[in-house]
Parts: sequence; structure tokens; C-alpha cells
Amino acid sequence: MAEKNIIMTHLVAGYPDLEESRRAALAMVAGGASYLEVQFPFSDPIADGPLIQGACTDALNSGFSTDKGFDFLSSLTAETDVPVFLMTYANLLMAPGVEVFVGRAAKSGASGLIIPDLPYDYDEGLYKAGEMADIPVVPVVIPGIDEERLKAILAMKPPYIYTAVRKGITGARTTIEEETVRFLDRLSRSGAKVLAGFGIREKEQVDLLSRHVHGSVVGSALVEIIGRCAGENRDCSGDVKAFVESLLKP
Amino acid sequence: MAVYNDFFGPYGGRYVAELLRGPLDELEEAFKKAMEDETFLAELKRFGKEYIGRPTPLLYAEKASKAIGGADIYIKLEGLANTGAHKINNAAGQALLAKRMGKTRIIAETGAGQHGVATAAVCARLGLKCRVYMGSEDIKRQRPNVFLMEMFGAEVFPVESGSKTLKDAVNEALRDWAASSADTHYLIGSALGPSPYPDMVREFQSVIGREVKEEQEKRKLQVKAMVACVGGGSNAIGFFEPFIAADSPRLIGAEAGGTGPEAGCHAARMTGEGKTGVLQGYKSRFLFDGDGQVLHTHSISAGLDYPGIGPQLAHLGEIGRIEFTSVRDDEALEALRFFASREGIIFALESAHAGAAGLKIAAQYKPGEAVIINMSGRGDKDIFITAKALQRDKWFDFLREETENG
Ligand SMILES: Cc1ncc(COP(=O)(O)O)c(C=O)c1O
Repeated sequence: MAEKNIIMTHLVAGYPDLEESRRAALAMVAGGASYLEVQFPFSDPIADGPLIQGACTDALNSGFSTDKGFDFLSSLTAETDVPVFLMTYANLLMAPGVEVFVGRAAKSGASGLIIPDLPYDYDEGLYKAGEMADIPVVPVVIPGIDEERLKAILAMKPPYIYTAVRKGITGARTTIEEETVRFLDRLSRSGAKVLAGFGIREKEQVDLLSRHVHGSVVGSALVEIIGRCAGENRDCSGDVKAFVESLLKP
Repeated sequence: MAVYNDFFGPYGGRYVAELLRGPLDELEEAFKKAMEDETFLAELKRFGKEYIGRPTPLLYAEKASKAIGGADIYIKLEGLANTGAHKINNAAGQALLAKRMGKTRIIAETGAGQHGVATAAVCARLGLKCRVYMGSEDIKRQRPNVFLMEMFGAEVFPVESGSKTLKDAVNEALRDWAASSADTHYLIGSALGPSPYPDMVREFQSVIGREVKEEQEKRKLQVKAMVACVGGGSNAIGFFEPFIAADSPRLIGAEAGGTGPEAGCHAARMTGEGKTGVLQGYKSRFLFDGDGQVLHTHSISAGLDYPGIGPQLAHLGEIGRIEFTSVRDDEALEALRFFASREGIIFALESAHAGAAGLKIAAQYKPGEAVIINMSGRGDKDIFITAKALQRDKWFDFLREETENG
């Protein structure tokens, strides 16, 4: 679909600390990422695998707070032109109140909200709050989603849809099956910009997906790189940028 | 009440990522159908009678009552159920349902290990493969139950993420299920989680309350209050269920007061700083900080050491049908000693919280009026904790000798 490969890169805000995650974000943009997905760490991130959960735990232990998260987001959106999406879990919205949280996200310049455990039919007012604050809520779907539910989601005409390319949580590498490809095509025909992720870590996957969706989401692979650099006590910018570039090579 | 409700006032629901939605929808359908199927209900009943040992006795605790000088104290001896706690009622119900759904593998989470043991036992009996997720901290604290689960042929899978305790085991089980639901049933251990679990667990545990009601009518007891401990809330909701719709008796839930009211020292969600949140697929009252990050909890009883509470109990607490109180570690130990020496019964530490609260309530009434305490489990499983707390030196001598001579 897309002319060239478009990727959304994911990072956990505050992992390993705020300064280093800022460097990582900017390196992603420098490497050619078209979107950033910034995850606010939560103590119990059940849609994530052990790797991202570990990163969330580390970020919380090194002092992440929602206030710091929004500051981080504001400075990022001021510094780069790529749209920044905010991903987190329901309870971070419940604590201050969904409307308050969504309002703060909009004020920080976020371009969209990804909250996997607030689906449209149990959303605690998220979709309405997004409309009021003029910040799109991005539904998260999976191949094999119930037909009625998919229709209901498409009927909301979301500007973006986030889809997993397999069942299961974030983490391990994914083989993209025929059936999945048909599902992605169908999503794309709805007119929404489809972002496909979960287990995308190789150029071949990105190449394949680029023919069927708007963009690929790369998460765990980058968290791994950032974690490795943190372990070796060195700046991750170079590695992050090089990896993003390698996915986008013509 | 209806078998399936989804919400209880503002609480409950199915707040899950899409990947868990399909399995939960499937489970809801299967559960509703099974509850209308006489064959299933008869099978469950037979399993209860022949394997679990139902009905469990309702004991008049005469010496305890006289010592308090208040109400007549009755104890529902749920701890006499096979494997030692009420947990088996739910494990049996869900495992039979899973079998009916054609599932061949069961996963479960466990904290203290009681639910894990019950699940592993039922799976051994029904020929289902079983994996139990358990925090690595809990594995260290609960070795005897790990041994039992392995005896039953279950695989005990250590969870190293987060705080390495019960809530992390729930997270891990949910993750497994997201990828494995085609052949796997997630057998949750308390009346919480995304719908239909709170409804389903209540239905399978309500056999406790139905038996109490039957005895109450047979013995013409003037029941003034019923008391249960509340971790996630499965024994409490099952014990209370047939009495909820009426205005009486008083229903009292005892939460873990731990070592005191400071954050991190207790698991008092209803009597402490609990707030409305969404965690692990359901909306209820939880212990979390200003940002929504879940707090650590503490209780001497692993089964009450959890930051959330079942949604129906949260709702019933809010509208005042259930009164909540909290019981500290030392008060639970005192109640344990009280009932052991006067009635020859060893309460599980969880249930001892209900025991302690029940003694206080009983003092408010007079002979001829009844207060019923649910002893959700028996205390054999706690010997490594209670012996250490109550007879430290002798117990350590014993352990030393065992390791030196064994
Ligand atoms: C004996 C006993 N009672 C109570 C509980 C608490 O659970 P619930 O509140 O679901 O009954 C447990 C949990 O492990 C238990 O083992």
C-alpha cells in the first residue's frame, strides 16, 4: 500500500530512565520512523510479554510518574514533527479520571491514544473523551476478531486502527499467515490507516506488511536494543538509529 | 439473582484487550448453557458429594460461645472439603465445564497454593493437563503446596515478573490464555477477573450458602450475622449468596489489616484506601497510588494478600448490604489459638480473619441468637507460618534437626 516502508517505533517512557528514553525516541526519528508509540509504564501490563513488562518495572523503579510522562511527551512533540501516540493501560486513566487524562494527553501534543484494555464497549467514556479533546482513540484489533465486533469498530470510522498480526502478547517473532494478510487487506479497505504490530523485528516482515497496511509497529526488538545498551552502560542512539534504518532500507 | 450479570452496580465488566475477548465470549456462552443443563448440574452435585465431601458440617461452637458470652457461634467447616478449603468447589465446577467445552488443558494462578492444589487435584481426577502459575516469592513461602501440586501431576510454573506474587501469577495466566485458549481453559481462583468469572465463581461457590441455609431452616436458627474473610471474595460471595437479596442477617466481610494501616502493610481495599480502578480485566476497588500504579500489599495469610476485590462484593459493600471490617495479623493468630484450644479446630490463616471478626460480632448479641463464621479452609497448610509465629524456638530446633539428620 505504502510507497515506502512506514514504521511506528515503540518505546517505554522512562526506560531505562527518562533521559535515555528521550535519546532513543530521537534516534528512532533520525533513523526514519514515521510515528512514535510512547508507552507509559504500568505495574501490571497484561497485554505485554515479559520483556516489555520488565522495561515497565524498571522505568517505574527509576521514578517514572504520570506527570513526568506528560512532560516527556510534551518535549518530544515539541522537538519532532512525527506524530506521537500514547499507549498505556486503563488504570492510569482511571486514577486521575479518564477525561482529565485524555485532556492532558491532547495538551501534550499526542496524536492518538492506544489503550488496549478499554475496548469500545467497556471504555469508561474514553472514546467520547477523545472526541471532545480532539484526539483519536485507536482501536486495537486482532485477526479472528468476532465479526460483529469488527463491524462495530469499523462503523466508528476510526482514523487509525492498530492490529496485531497474530494472537498472543507482545514479544516473540511472528510468522505472518495468508489468512492474516487477507484480514489486513480488509482493514485497510475501510479507509483507516492500519498499523500492524506484535512480533515485527525483521525487514522482510516490514516489506511484506507494507504492501497491505499503512505501517508496521516495531516494539520488543527496540526495547531489547535499548535494554542491551543500558546493560552495557552506553548511549543507545547509534544502535537504535541503525536498527530503524535497516528496516527501511530500499 | 441471575446466573450472569456482567456488572454489579458500576463494578465488574470485561475490560480486556481484544485478544482475550473471544475466549471470554466463548466461556460466557458455555457457562450459561451449562447452568441450565440438568445433566451438568447433576454431575457437579455428584462430584461434590463423592469427591469433595459435601455437605460440609455446620458446627455449634459451644465452648467458644460460652467464653464470649454473646451469640451462639456456629462455624461452617468448609475446611473439611477435600484438599482443605472451599477452593475446590470452584475448581470442580470450572474443570467440569472446561471438559464439556472440549478443553484438554487447564491453567490456573495461585498465591498460597490452595487454589493451585484444588485445581491440580481436580485435573488429576478428570484427566486434564494442568499448569499452575505461581509467583517465585510464593513458591519459596509455600513449598508444601508446591509439593502437593506436583504430586497431582501439575506443572508449577514460577512467575518472575513484577512483585512475583499472586497478582503477577494472574497476569501470567492471562497471557498464556491469550495464546492458548483453543485447547485451554483458564481456571481463575476467586470471584474476580473479567466477566463471566465473578458470576461463574459465585455460582460454583454458592453451594456453601445453600447448605448453611438448609441447616438454618432445619435447626430454626435465629441468624443475626454471617462472617467471612475476603481475599478476592470467592468464599464470602458463595457463603452469602442465598442471603444477599433479603435485608437480614448482617453480612460481614473481614479483610486483611496486615501489620497496620500504612500503605503496603495491609490489603484493606474496602476499609482502607481502596479506589475505583480497572485491573486484570475488571472494574472494582483496588489499592493503587495516585498515578494508578498498583501498590504492594501484605498479610500473614497469602490468600488475602491481593490488591483487588471481586466486583460484586465491592458493590454490595458500597450499598451497605455487606459490612467490611479489617483484621490484623496478630488478631488472626489470636483467633487461631482461641478456636484451636476451645473447639479443636485449626482455622486457615485466611479464615482466622473471619474467626476474629466473628468473635467481636458475637459479643454484640445474646444466647439464642446465632452468628455464623465461615471457616473457608483448615490450617494444616499454614504450619510453616503459624508454628514459626507461635512456637519459634521449638519449631526451628525441629527444622534444624530435620535437615541435619534427614
Ligand atoms: C482458606 C482460604 N480462605 C480464603 C481465601 C481467600 O480467597 P477468597 O476471598 O476468594 O475466598 C483463600 C485463598 O487462597 C484460602 O485459601
